[in-house]
Amino acid sequence: MIKIYFKMFMRTFFIQTLWNYERMQNIGFLFILKPFLYKIYLNKDKRKKALLRHTGYFNTHPYMANVIVAIIANIEKKIVEEGSSNEKISDINAIKSVMEGPLAAIGDSFFGGTLRPLAALISISMLIFLKTSDSWFGAYNVLIPLLFIFLYNVVHISVRCRLMFVGFIFDRESIVRLLRFNFKLLWKMGNVGKFIIPIVTLFLYLKVFGFGPAANNILPKTTVNIVFIYGVILVLSIFVSRKFSPTFLFYGTILTCIIMSI
Amino acid sequence: MTENVIFLAFIAALCTVDIIGFGQFMICRPIFCAPLIGFFMDDIGTALWIGMIVEMIWIDAVPMGVALPVDISSISILSTFWVCKYFMSLYEAAIWGLILAIPFAYLYRWIDIWGRNFNIKIMYWVEKGIQNGKDGRINLGIALGLFFFVSRAFLFYIFAMIIGGWIYANIYLQFSELILEGFKKAWYLLPVSGFGMVMHNFRNIKTPFLRH
Repeated sequence: MIKIYFKMFMRTFFIQTLWNYERMQNIGFLFILKPFLYKIYLNKDKRKKALLRHTGYFNTHPYMANVIVAIIANIEKKIVEEGSSNEKISDINAIKSVMEGPLAAIGDSFFGGTLRPLAALISISMLIFLKTSDSWFGAYNVLIPLLFIFLYNVVHISVRCRLMFVGFIFDRESIVRLLRFNFKLLWKMGNVGKFIIPIVTLFLYLKVFGFGPAANNILPKTTVNIVFIYGVILVLSIFVSRKFSPTFLFYGTILTCIIMSI
Repeated sequence: MTENVIFLAFIAALCTVDIIGFGQFMICRPIFCAPLIGFFMDDIGTALWIGMIVEMIWIDAVPMGVALPVDISSISILSTFWVCKYFMSLYEAAIWGLILAIPFAYLYRWIDIWGRNFNIKIMYWVEKGIQNGKDGRINLGIALGLFFFVSRAFLFYIFAMIIGGWIYANIYLQFSELILEGFKKAWYLLPVSGFGMVMHNFRNIKTPFLRH
């Protein structure tokens, strides 16, 4: 059975391959569950029914799906051992629809909103630090992107593994167990780190580069630094609404620079 | 090291697949894929800076469910490729590369939406197969989905690298000194705007489910 679990885990990396606007991750979910269903359902007709049960709508955060896959696999196992009942079959759909939303919210805010930006900022700090010396930069620049991939995937892959393991062992209780420790603590850590790292990186950046040609042409270096830095940060983080377009910021900055050159 | 468009387009397509096709190991993020292209083209320094700018400005650009932002992998890959091929290590040219790559990234987004709609047809084909006892279609469907994803990304990069490169080089040579001076300043100021965007992103991240 461990071989099957390992196979399922490897297949979780393909959960979004056939993502579509109608039922989203449904085929990806079925692809993960397939080896397990083949193992437990020896009767072809029953297996066909089980496979068709999972062709319905499914969408959650791809990393967090592992715990749902494991719980659903446990229910399928119970159906084989104790016999099929309407209650158990409706349990499958209920668990999917109840869990996918909250888990997607946790996954999006933790991985997309905290871990990835933090890993990127740590790599950017390293880039700025190495830029202080040409020989250091020439020798170690390859490590910068590798550091980002390493930092992100150490957490990502271990969380994926753990979610699947916890799902198989603790079944429905796994959600309560997960909330007791992991994400709450990590979220708090991220909360502290995500404000410290940008500030440290920002000061490091100013120390190393200032603002290049912009500082010499218009105003004394320090004034431009202070005005621009606090201007951008204050405007963006306090006054600008949540739905702010980065593309607008990008073109706006370039336009400002061209105007500054006149 | 190499300027072979087919090889680089294939590498770029493999990076792009990471967005949803396979893994989500974040090799599609600009901080990784731009230096990767830079490494193959022998200018990792400029590529890293491009990657840093794009990563910070589009820090919250992640496909979530039906929400599909602009494809930032193609912004960083294309701008790195163009600057390394035509104007190696020239900061002004790198900024022009970023400016021109954004419309191409929107084009890729449109192609991606089309691809996700096409997946509905594969999904029905798989479902019909299961009903007829052909369970092998599940694996085949996933393989087809992956193949089409890589193929469309590969063809897009071939087109964008060649046609986009021609547009890029020809327009750049027409720019006045004034505009080039502006681009040079932008090379230093864009990371600052990026820091602002990072702070904005962190400020808006909420986890209401865990706040108790």
